[in-house]
Amino acid sequence: MRWIDWYGDGSLYVLDIALACCTLEFDAASPASAAPVPTLDDRAHVAVVISGTVTDRLAPGVAAIIDGCEQVAGRRPTVISFGACASSGGPYWDSYAVTKGVDQLVAVDAYVPGCPPPPEALSAVLDQIAHRVKS
Amino acid sequence: MNSPQSSHRWIRLIEPACTSCMICARECPSWCISIDSHTEPVAGLPTGARDRTRNALDRFAIDWSLCMYCGICVEECPYDALEWVGDLTKAGPSSESLVEEMAEKPSARTSS
Amino acid sequence: MLPENWLAAVEALRADGFDYFDWLGCVDEIGRQDCFRVILVARNLAKSAEPRMLSCLLPRDDPRIDSVRGVFAGAAWHEREVAELFGVEFVGGERRRLLLDPGFEGTPLRKDEVLAARTGLNWPGAKEPGETDASPSRRRMLPPGVPDPAVWGDRDASQPASDPAEVAESAVGGRVLRRRT
Repeated sequence: MRWIDWYGDGSLYVLDIALACCTLEFDAASPASAAPVPTLDDRAHVAVVISGTVTDRLAPGVAAIIDGCEQVAGRRPTVISFGACASSGGPYWDSYAVTKGVDQLVAVDAYVPGCPPPPEALSAVLDQIAHRVKS
Repeated sequence: MNSPQSSHRWIRLIEPACTSCMICARECPSWCISIDSHTEPVAGLPTGARDRTRNALDRFAIDWSLCMYCGICVEECPYDALEWVGDLTKAGPSSESLVEEMAEKPSARTSS
Repeated sequence: MLPENWLAAVEALRADGFDYFDWLGCVDEIGRQDCFRVILVARNLAKSAEPRMLSCLLPRDDPRIDSVRGVFAGAAWHEREVAELFGVEFVGGERRRLLLDPGFEGTPLRKDEVLAARTGLNWPGAKEPGETDASPSRRRMLPPGVPDPAVWGDRDASQPASDPAEVAESAVGGRVLRRRT
């Protein structure tokens, strides 16, 4: 897995499950210091962001990735459902092919509303997770 | 990175303008607006006038986990009771926490 | 055109210089005629990508058409998508599903297929102004996508099954403006 060292200092590692349009906002949110790394620091915060619509077909894969994150990190990551689709199915809640929110598969720690949420919405949640709440 | 300044990040209810007409709830493609209302007799009519009723809003809620920020509700409201604002819609720890109750509780309202 | 002429027409189109396959799709014409319309668009790159469209009507109760993946290999995926979403059979085509789960039942893009999720949930817009709880005797307004219960969902068992055109028409929704042909 390629984790993003969000602040570039080994304090927070983030993995993006890039499913749809919200992932573009994830890209926009990642600071200039962010760098993909293959291994984790044991003491760092770890977060998984699900960006985009979870289709029924992809759902088992998404669940497997999140389980995989837990195994690789050795601890349960903070799970963030980013955007309306990941939070509840969003505008596609009534589709015959969409899972109504990633929380149907795994426990979610933070739900970020938006379609898509602005990048600042993600930065704010990640700053909180890493205890870097802006004044 | 900061996105360019946007005024379209959250939708606010201007409660005095709402007549509980249900148009926003009906037009919303995501079915994310919930409205409860009841009818009340209108007070202070001149003597001899026929009884009239008006709608009183009890509950106006938007489920932000469903909202796709299309703005149809803002455009369709005949009374301009919904408006865009530039603050971020807040993230929350649960799906339920994303349901925002926008109508003031009855006890908070002054009597009309 | 008729299904029996489809393959030959596509071959002729390619031979005519339209050798860039653009897309293949389907339209459910229920309500106008009891047919599916299969459409193929190919382009002539030598002539500024000029497009040419071919279309073929298939009877809704027996929608079979030749596969053109021998003419345009790229059509295979488009045909698989049309097959799984509309229930059209492409003779000589690939039978594997493309987007839907192998266990998925139904042909979702047919207009008489009802979006079950919408019928199962209470529509917030069903309440009338001045109402909080549903009044049981009042006729409820229906959202787009949900047919009248008398047509689908709560139909009188003594009545014959609804005709697909009736179901499709009923699900259009009260507030949608429809062009009358």
